[in-house]
Formats: sequence, C-alpha cells, structure tokens
Amino acid sequence: MMQRTRVESCYAAKRPWGHFAALLVIAVLVIGSFWAVEWDFSTFTDPAKAERALERASGLVEAFSDPDFSGEWLERCWELTKETLSAAVMATFLAVIFAYLLAMGAAKSVAVGVEPVSGWRGRLLRLPLHLFCSACRWTLDILRSVPDFAWAVILVAVLGLGPVTGAVALALNITGILGKVYSEFWDSVDPKGYEQIRALGGGRLKTFLYGIRPLASRSVQSFTLMRAECAIRNAAVIGAVGGGGLGAEIMYQIGMGKWGKVTTLMLYTLGLTLGADLASNFIRRQLRSDPNHPRAVKPRSTFANLSRAYIGVAFAMCVVLWSVWFMGWGNSGGPDGQARNYLEPLAKLGDAKERKKIAFFEDLLKPDFDLESIGYGDPAKREIQEQMGTTVKFSDEYEWYDFWRPSAWVSWEKSLQNWFVWRVVKSAAVPLAMAIIGTLLGVLAAMALSYPHSLAFQLESQQFTGESPHPAVRALRVVQMALARGIGLVSRGVPEVMWAFLFIAFFGPGLLAGSIAIALHTLGVLVRVFSESVDNIPYRRFEQTYRGSRMSCFAYTAGPMSWKDWMTYSFFQFESNVRMGVVLGIVGVGGLGFFFTFNFEWFRFEKAGTHLLVIILLTVVIDRISRRLKLSRVG
Amino acid sequence: MKRVLWLMIALAGIFSIAACGGGGNNTSGGNTTGSGGGNGKAPEKIIITAIPDDNADKLKEHFGNIAKYLEGKIGIPCEYMHVENYAASVTALANGQAHLSWMGGVTTVQADQQTEGGAVVVCCRDIDKKFKTYFIANADSGIGKVNDLKDLAGKAGGKDFTFGSKGSTSGHLMPRYFFTTQNEGKKPEDVFGKVGYSGSHDLTLKQVAEGQYTVGALNYATYDKASDELKAKAPIIYTTPTYVDYSFVARKDLGDELIGKIRKALLELDPASEDGKKILGFMKAGKLVEADMKEWAGIRNVMESDVDIGG
Repeated sequence: MMQRTRVESCYAAKRPWGHFAALLVIAVLVIGSFWAVEWDFSTFTDPAKAERALERASGLVEAFSDPDFSGEWLERCWELTKETLSAAVMATFLAVIFAYLLAMGAAKSVAVGVEPVSGWRGRLLRLPLHLFCSACRWTLDILRSVPDFAWAVILVAVLGLGPVTGAVALALNITGILGKVYSEFWDSVDPKGYEQIRALGGGRLKTFLYGIRPLASRSVQSFTLMRAECAIRNAAVIGAVGGGGLGAEIMYQIGMGKWGKVTTLMLYTLGLTLGADLASNFIRRQLRSDPNHPRAVKPRSTFANLSRAYIGVAFAMCVVLWSVWFMGWGNSGGPDGQARNYLEPLAKLGDAKERKKIAFFEDLLKPDFDLESIGYGDPAKREIQEQMGTTVKFSDEYEWYDFWRPSAWVSWEKSLQNWFVWRVVKSAAVPLAMAIIGTLLGVLAAMALSYPHSLAFQLESQQFTGESPHPAVRALRVVQMALARGIGLVSRGVPEVMWAFLFIAFFGPGLLAGSIAIALHTLGVLVRVFSESVDNIPYRRFEQTYRGSRMSCFAYTAGPMSWKDWMTYSFFQFESNVRMGVVLGIVGVGGLGFFFTFNFEWFRFEKAGTHLLVIILLTVVIDRISRRLKLSRVG
Repeated sequence: MKRVLWLMIALAGIFSIAACGGGGNNTSGGNTTGSGGGNGKAPEKIIITAIPDDNADKLKEHFGNIAKYLEGKIGIPCEYMHVENYAASVTALANGQAHLSWMGGVTTVQADQQTEGGAVVVCCRDIDKKFKTYFIANADSGIGKVNDLKDLAGKAGGKDFTFGSKGSTSGHLMPRYFFTTQNEGKKPEDVFGKVGYSGSHDLTLKQVAEGQYTVGALNYATYDKASDELKAKAPIIYTTPTYVDYSFVARKDLGDELIGKIRKALLELDPASEDGKKILGFMKAGKLVEADMKEWAGIRNVMESDVDIGG
C-alpha cells in the first residue's frame, strides 16, 4: 500500500512539462540566433553569386578528384603527418602529467578530504586546503575555457611558429579538460570504498594512491584515450594559426588554390584521424577487463596477466620518447630538408633574460574595460570621449519609464554600443549563433542518419522482425549501412576547422560556412553514439512493438528509448561547439575569436585581454548552467 | 601500485632527459642567436626575417639571396627565417629571435613600439618613400574606374570587399584610412556587404580575379609584378595618394658598427651587378636608399588616431 501511494505521488510530481519548456527554449534560441547576428544567405538568393558558388563547387569536386600523388609531395605529407602526430603525443603527455597534479588539488576528496570535521579548529585547519582546492579548480577552468587555437595565437608570439607551439597550446587546453574530468571522477568515488585505508592510518596521499586512484582508474584511462584522439584531430588543424603540422600546409595550399595538393593533405589527415580512431578502439578493448566477460574467465599465466600493463606503459613511453626526439632532432620536414630543433624556444623560456623580452604580453592580463565611456575611470580621458560623443548616455531621448517602448531599447542599445565591453559581449553572439544552428542541424541529421547507421535495424533486424529477407534486400541494406557509416566516418574524421576552410572557399567567410562546418562534424560525432545507444537496446524490446515497418519501429520505439542518451550527448556536443565557434572565428569566420586575434596581432593587448576574458566567461557560464541543470555528464 | 611507481620512475627519467636536453640547447641556443646585451657584441649568426606579404616560396628564395649576399659582405653567417603572419615578424624582432627584418609601414612602427625604441631603420627602397595602394575590382562586376572612394562606396555598396593581411600597411591600414576619411567616417564594414582579409597581396588579387570578392585593395608593387591575365580579370579602379611603406629594420643592440656595415652593404647593391639584379629586381626597386624612423611618423599618427577596425 505504501509502495503504491509513493508511485502515484511520483507520477503526479513529474509532469512532462520539461519537454515543452525545452522546445520553447530551443525555438527562442533559434529565433535569437537569426535575429542577433546578420546572416548572409546571398549565396542562395543572389543568382549571380549562386552561379559563381556552383561553379566553384563543381570546380572543387573536380579538383578533389585529382589528388597530387607525386612521390615528392607524398613524402612531404608523410613528414607533416609525423610532425602532427608528434605534436599530439607530446601535448597529451604533458597534459596528462599536469592534469594529474592539478586534479589532485582540484578534487575535494583528495586535497581536502570528505570525512566530517568538528570544532572550529578542524575547520580552520581545513580552510587553506579549501582555498588551495578552489585555486586549482579556477586554474583548470581558465585553461579549459581558452580554446587551443587562442592559446596558439598567443604562443606563436612567444615560441615562434612550429609544432612545439601547437603541442603546448593543445597541452594547455587538454590539461584543463582532463584535470576537470579527473577530479570529477575522483570525487565521485564512494568514500566507503577507501575508508579502510584512512582507518588504517593512511594519509591523504596514501588514500589517494591506494584508494581513490585505483577505483577510478578505468574511467580515467578511457577518458584520457578519448582526449588523445581529439588531440590528434586538433593537432592536424592547429597549424592554421601557426602550430605547424598538416594544418599550416593545408591553409597555405587552400590559399594558393592548389586543390590537388589539398586533397592529398586531407587524405593524410583522414588517414591519421581514422588510424587514431581504430587504435584507440583497440586499446580500449585491451583495457576493458570485465570480470564477467567470457574472455576474462579464460585461465592465464600470471606473467601474461601482469605483462600487459608493462607492455602498454612501455609502448606509450616509446611513443612519447619518439615524439620528443622527432620534435627536437629528427624532424627534417622543413623546407630546407635540414633537421631543426623545435624544442629550442621552449628551453629558452627557462632563461630569465629571455623571459623579460616577452614581458610586453603582461598587458594581456590588464583587460581594457573602457570605463571612461560609462562614466568612470580617468576624468581626462572621459572628457575627451565626451567631446567626441562616444560615451554611453541612456537618458538622451528616452527616460527609464519609457521601458515599454521597443524604440527606447533600440536607442539604449545603440548608445551602449559606445562601450567597448558591450561590443565585445555582443560579438559573442556569433559563436553562440553558429553553435546553436550548427548543433541543431547536426543533431537532426544525426537522428535521421542513425537509422541506416544502426546495426540493429540494418543487418540484425530479422532477430526481432521475424522476417527472412531476400539476399538482394540484405545486400541493399549492407550498402545502405556502409554508405551511412562512410558519411559518419568522413564527417567526423575531418576536423571542423578543415570543413570550415572548405566552406569558406565556397560560401565566403561568414556564419553560414561556420555553421555548416559545425553541423557536419556534429553529425559525424553524434551519429556514432546515437546508433550505438540504439544498438545497445536489447532486441526483445523491439520485438514487442514491431508492426511490420522497421522505420516506424525505429521512430516510435528505439528513438524514444534512447532519447535521454541522445539529448545528453547533444548537449555535451553543444558545449564543445560553442568553443569551436570561437575557434572558427579565429580562423576567419568572424565574431569574438576574430576580434581577439585581430587585436592581438595589432598589439592591442589590453583589448585582446578583454576578448579573452569574455571567451573564458562564455565557457564558464555555459558550463555552470549545464551543471546546474544536470544536462551533460562526464565522458 | 607498482605500475604507478614504474610510471613515475619512467616519467622522472624522461623529465631528466628532457631537462638535460633542454639545458644543453639553452647554452648553444643563447650563443647562436646571441641577442642578449646591448654592448654591441656581434652575434654569431644574423637571423633575417620578413613580413610574409608574398608567396612563401618566392620569399624564401629572395631572402635567401639577401642572406647570402650579406654573409659575403659582412663576414657573419646570415639565415632567413620565414614567419607566417605579420605580428610574428614583429615579435621575432622584439624578443630577439631575429636581428634584421624586412617590415611594412605598420610593422616598422610596431617594431619600434614593441622594442621601446630599440629598433632602427637600416634603409628602404627608393619606391618606398612614394608608395601607393590600388583598389581593384572584378572585371565582370561592371564597376569601372572611380574618381574617389566615395564614388566607390556609391557604386560598390553591398558588394564584398577584401583587404590583404590584417597587419599590412598598403593592404589594410592605408586603404582603410583613405576610405574612412573620404567617406566622412563611414567604415568599409558599414558600406560593403562583407569585409574579408585574404591574408596577403597576391591572394587579394587572386580572389578578386576569381570573383570570390568583388573589390579588393593591394599594394601596387605586387600588382605590377602579376601576370597580364590576372590584371585583365581584376583591373585597377582607384589609386590612393602616396605614403611611406617598407623598410629594413634592425635591432639597435647589434651595435652601430655592425648596423653600419649592413647598411653599407645594402646601399651598395647595384642593379648592374648580378646580386643586385636578382635582389633589386625582385623588390621592384631601382636601389636601396637611406631612411630614418622619423619618416614613419605619418603612419604612426594614422595608427595612433585609432583607426576603428571594428570590435
């Protein structure tokens, strides 16, 4: 009886209003992103432009069908691929070390401890630990919210061009991501699991090493692997802003219009990312030692069991050593064919005298808030600005009680435009709009594509439909699935930035190119996880609802059942797409990222500092919102 | 646990190796660039860099020639270092990664600002004292010659427009400055449909010729060097008034003596000699002439009057 009332009240408390609210929010966001920034659809509407774009597109297709396979070029591409790989390996290696250390500080269970304290003395003793913990968290937040491309823009000026710049830029960003996730993994370990170590007198460090770390190691390994894969993808494009590797060459060759060479480079990039994809799948399979798995039951010698870990670590170390060697002494991919030591600038940073020369970057830490235009700050400057009429004045035409008139808001906004910070905040609308439209398009396309992409509905459907398809029908389904998988593979294997380069060449730089690039990559990433979550549903669940059409079974059974997973993944992707919007701005699409690089390259470091601050805030705000709403989960 | 221990030992090992390697490089690196100290001690090697305003292969060849020529004249090894964007060439000079740099107008001033007066103009081309920018339009667009940029704004409003690199003088700052002053303060962004940055002068020409952008602005030297076919596809519609532009900038801490030697060697370049023909021919210069940082004050004024680049 008790049970029943509880169930009833549970139903009553949970009206499904959330879906309507979500739809409303999405509608508002879409309208907002079309309203807040200017979209240029002239490629579609202007016949002359459309014709030219079509011409270019057909030219592109033609160019892509004729890759440059001359021996010399292949060799150069191979060198660049190695350069990219070494940058990615080094970035991941550095990031893992620093993330581990920072995460130990940022994890409450490690740095502060979760056991209750009593009395003011205990609390007082813990205060410094709490402060230390939040300092680590902030460091990670900042590292994570500045995109790797923005780091690269800053570092190019310090370290010069080359793969080491790319590696350090990637490392900084990945440190932030890994550190946050590691600390969350460690914090989510149940304290009961390691209570005995504390009971036996183990200190903080011992509790961590013998208790917390092993309990979370599986998740840590798998997440690290995922980020390593991402690092390779990003290393392939970070050359666009001076990070070396394939990206620099692709950017250059696109500029020169040598599409044959671009095609070869893209094929290499695709090969690299797909290789990384396969390798990480392989490693993941090795890591997964589920005790209930039939393979685990197989008796193995102690040596076979233990050696695997050592072999794995040794292999990783070899790869890291190779990348250090390659970057320092082995890279002869330069234009003159001579080995060049890319590590040199990094070593120089240790020299205090050398460091002093880059002191002018300190201005980046003094963001320009343009206080003069809003009536604060230096009176002398304020006067000049007032004379020039570039101050914010709200009460010129409308008083505050005119708030109900839309025209008052328009005039206020116009006046607010005089404030630099407001212009910066407004330019954040561009990456946001791109992320919203791109994610939405990508998610919709991924939902549609996961039907042909799914193993359950294409190859194994007879297990729940009971039909026995004709071999020709089966063949058709195989072709369908292969096509869908091919589309997914290519669209996630080619990084967003590279898609953006292509669409910029096609549509010209702008929101349209950026959004389509984001949508395409989102499609590729999501279609894999979407169809995976469909394939994970036991087939007997489909059996009950199957009514003769696989498509309707997919739409009305599989879809709703995996809906929650889909939405979680989609929101996770949205978060990373916002960062990607900033990055696409840096490579020329416009908005926040564009103005940041612009001011940085004009040595207006104070202004670039403001942009950087808004970039950080943008990520932090979205992160906090999603954490509050529990929209995304780790991994 | 053992695994972790091993891992840590391995990490420690790698770090120490890396540290040793780093330490080794540090001393040798310090020597090769030898940029420290203003006591006029000549570095072992002079690193030359340049703003990447042209095709990278062409630049590598051209500055390779200059490096070879200078090496022969001053007896110190010289090497060209290619950088991918304008700002990087300034920082390279400012933080001592490069000693001598071929700069544009804006970058010359920026080098002076970033080194806090530690840069000196060695020389410039004869043509640099009277530099100009061409506005070009796609031949199919039907935009003919215009009298001034206000006329252009009327004819080409709403069309797409491209500058060269963001940090370029003749490809961005000056055309923007002339456009804004001739249009009563209206920015290109207010007039044109889309304002892009192609990245370099040759790309501006290519993209306007191919119709990716309708109108563009680029320096006249690059345009004059281009093929007739490209020129026919993107005719000149307006020529700006003249201003100063490119120069060779050196770090003051090379010492007066060495800078004097470099200057002498560069001024001596004779179009009749083989070296001179190659180098001056590429630069489209009759010869190199003496110049002083003061002559760039005009550019500095334009820069400091805060040309509004938007954002």
